[in-house]
Amino acid sequence: MREPDLKSEGGWPSRKLRLTLLISFGGLLALMVIAGLGALRLARQLQTQEEEIRQAFLAHSQPLLVLSSSIYVYNDRLQEYLMSQDPQSEGLASEEFSRLTAEINSTLRQYPGNRQPEERALLESLQQMFTEQEGMLNPVLSWSREERRRQALRFLNEEVLPQRSRINEASEKIALWNNQQLAAAGREMFASFASLQAQQTSLLAIALTAGLVLSLASIFYLLRLGEEAQRRYLELARSRAELEELSAQLVDAQETERRSISRELHDEVGQSLGALLVEVGRLAASVPSANTQIKDHVDKIKAVAETSVQTVRNIALLLRPSMLDDLGLIAALEWQGREVSRRSEMEVEVQSADVSEKIPDEYRICIYRLVQEALNNAARHSSAKNARVTVDQTADKILVSVFDDGRGFDPQRVRGLGILGMEERVRRLGGILNIDSKPGRGTTLKAEFPLPQS
Amino acid sequence: MNSIRVLLADDHKLIRAGLRLVVDQQPDLSVVGEADDGRQAVELAKSLKPNVVVMDIGMPNLNGIEAARQIGEMDPGAAVVMLSMHSDEGYVLRALSAGARAYLLKDSATTDLVQAIRAVVEGKSFFSPAVSKVLLQDYIRKLQRSGAEDSYDLLSPREREVLQLVAEGKSNKEVASLLHLSVYTVETHRAKIMQKLNLKGVPELILYAVRKGIIS
Repeated sequence: MREPDLKSEGGWPSRKLRLTLLISFGGLLALMVIAGLGALRLARQLQTQEEEIRQAFLAHSQPLLVLSSSIYVYNDRLQEYLMSQDPQSEGLASEEFSRLTAEINSTLRQYPGNRQPEERALLESLQQMFTEQEGMLNPVLSWSREERRRQALRFLNEEVLPQRSRINEASEKIALWNNQQLAAAGREMFASFASLQAQQTSLLAIALTAGLVLSLASIFYLLRLGEEAQRRYLELARSRAELEELSAQLVDAQETERRSISRELHDEVGQSLGALLVEVGRLAASVPSANTQIKDHVDKIKAVAETSVQTVRNIALLLRPSMLDDLGLIAALEWQGREVSRRSEMEVEVQSADVSEKIPDEYRICIYRLVQEALNNAARHSSAKNARVTVDQTADKILVSVFDDGRGFDPQRVRGLGILGMEERVRRLGGILNIDSKPGRGTTLKAEFPLPQS
Repeated sequence: MNSIRVLLADDHKLIRAGLRLVVDQQPDLSVVGEADDGRQAVELAKSLKPNVVVMDIGMPNLNGIEAARQIGEMDPGAAVVMLSMHSDEGYVLRALSAGARAYLLKDSATTDLVQAIRAVVEGKSFFSPAVSKVLLQDYIRKLQRSGAEDSYDLLSPREREVLQLVAEGKSNKEVASLLHLSVYTVETHRAKIMQKLNLKGVPELILYAVRKGIIS
């Protein structure tokens, strides 16, 4: 399995990965938007088309129907007129016929211009019928009442009734034609809708497939990233634990080494030099004071020996403060405080309450080194005038604090090796180190150690 | 003339040998025993009944301070001369608290040892000049830095007399007869001195006196 591309030039996640994600998710989104818009457009198109068809159908079929019914009415009125014996209706009849004629003519004029052949034929046959009826009317109007009564029945049977059945026929043809028109339009619309629908369906299918592929790929990649992160985290935790263990061992080893070198210096070098001093002292005492040359010599030897003793002693003290063994923790801290006071411009005060001298040696050395480091830092960097060390012991813990009134620092930003070392030492014993400092407000270092219950 | 019996306790054989030569040169002093560590020093003090124990502070098993305390509890007649590498007051105060009457730096042990032994036999104190110097310097530095006034100035002339005599190792009764005062008055003076100088116990009082150069 190839390593996931976590650390290429673009940082984490890599620029390449980001670009890929952007393109693929963006593409998918665009595809979905297109499909959605297409579906909307399809629906709207369908609606308009349907409306158009309906309008067109109405525009063509309505006048035709009106026309055929008007002609039918005309025929009806003719029939009525023939059968009538009322002299009054004669004048009215000619008036009514001219009104009907005008109505039919206006309907014909209103008829839409775009006509299909079949439609044109229908229209022509209606026109033809109307012309025939007008032809029938003219002689009838000029007939006398007597003539009308005689000829009415014959005229009715031979002219008017056949004409009437022809009008019915034409009317049925129009209805049939209308139905055909409507069905044809429906079919046409259905066909165009089906093709659009197929197009949309395929678009949707593509979007869905792309989405599926993309999410599967993403899931796979995320899972792999998760595994990788988990693995690295464990690795990190392990190496951190190892480092802590190592540094703890280093601190231990350092203290042990220091102690043994200090012991060695004290026992071997210190003993020889001490004996040398005693012997030189005796020699100096036995030289007669008159013999100035030899006395000067002996005094010089003595001075060199004293300096050497002092040097060796200081080195030994630095390595392992013998006060810790001779006098205990508090006395050693007091001594340390006085030493710093002597060497620097800072006066150190040590306060302690209820501190048992039976606390384990690793605690004593840890607290001692902690205070030593804190005081040295304060004396060296803070220009403090006063420092206060307090050590308190309760039933289950020891509290140590070192305060100085120096210029302070920002503990978030300044993290020297010294502070790291202190933290390491304190953590080893399960303690907590807290440094509270602000520029211009002094520094308080606090450490809390849980005591082993014996 | 009665010889002064001296017990030497130091974990360094060479140094013990050197000290022995210094002591043995004096006709009225004699080394009755040598101990390698504190425990042995306590045992030998018990069996040999020396007048003076010359003891190193830094010894294995039982350190000099603990050994001095045990010897003092067991035989108050044995005076202890403490030998140390350190001139720090932490050591001096603890040595005094443990019952030591003299405190010598090892560097100057050959020069001052005989004088120190004779002083403690007479019930007096003795401190290496270098120790007094360091104590005084610490004291002056503290005063200067804190700006406080020297508490010694608060003492009356009579109180200063009492302070010196007590620091030299005199009992209340001895002080009373020397100054022609009642024991009760001496006790009152002592209490006032302790209060004014903010001292706790005789060892701190002796340390104070050494620091001020009232005794050496």
